[in-house]
Amino acid sequence: MSNLEDDLKAALRREEPPADLANRVLARLNGLPEPTWRERLSVLVRPPRLQWVALCMIVSLLVPFGAVQYRNRQGERAKVQLLLAVHLAGNRLHQAQKRVLESSRMDTRI
Amino acid sequence: MVYSLAWHFLHDRALAEELAQEVFLELHRHLATIQSPEHLVFWLRKVASRRCIDQTRRRAFWPKFRLDEVPEPVAKTRQRDPMLSRTLAKLVASLPEKPRAVVILRYQEDLDPSDIAQVLDMPVATVKSHLQRSLDILRDKLARTIGEIAI
Repeated sequence: MSNLEDDLKAALRREEPPADLANRVLARLNGLPEPTWRERLSVLVRPPRLQWVALCMIVSLLVPFGAVQYRNRQGERAKVQLLLAVHLAGNRLHQAQKRVLESSRMDTRI
Repeated sequence: MVYSLAWHFLHDRALAEELAQEVFLELHRHLATIQSPEHLVFWLRKVASRRCIDQTRRRAFWPKFRLDEVPEPVAKTRQRDPMLSRTLAKLVASLPEKPRAVVILRYQEDLDPSDIAQVLDMPVATVKSHLQRSLDILRDKLARTIGEIAI
């Protein structure tokens, strides 16, 4: 890779979002209408494996506000919000996903 | 990642934050269609890139800096210095929107041309062409002040 390309990698390295961006997204989500019956049905027909993956990631990463919301049993909306929060938090998504996928393969209950 | 793509594309923090929020709200609406963590990342890159390009076109959004208005970097050294990084980032933000998206996906996300082609839904040859031309433009601009560029 040329020097210019190295410089571009340095110049375009990932910028962290503002700390309150996740909260703002969640706040807007909370203002959204409840999912329609069609949207709820589509979740049942297509098993939300990714949402379970996200749930396990949250537990392992101990995101406090996400854990509180989950304990409040917001159900499906909480799982969606947690997925967004984790992704927004810019946590080590990849490593956690690997661990979770490996454990989810072993644990058939999930 | 999403915010960073928007920031490097738009070079406007408020707009980048707004766009990032919109992307995640759209994700919320389409979450049932996401098939895997890899698909999620692909989907986010695709939607974020598309929204950045649309934002520029829809609002006749002019980049904060045009290519010819960006001040020449003062440093004559090839050491990686913050001033050079800032100048390069501004230069990238002044590229036309599609080449800009290609450059950002290549150097921020470290995607190869075939992956970029899938994200942006364009032929691989076009991606490579955008990349090469953008590098030539950026190199030319920097070469005027920095001097000999080790290619």
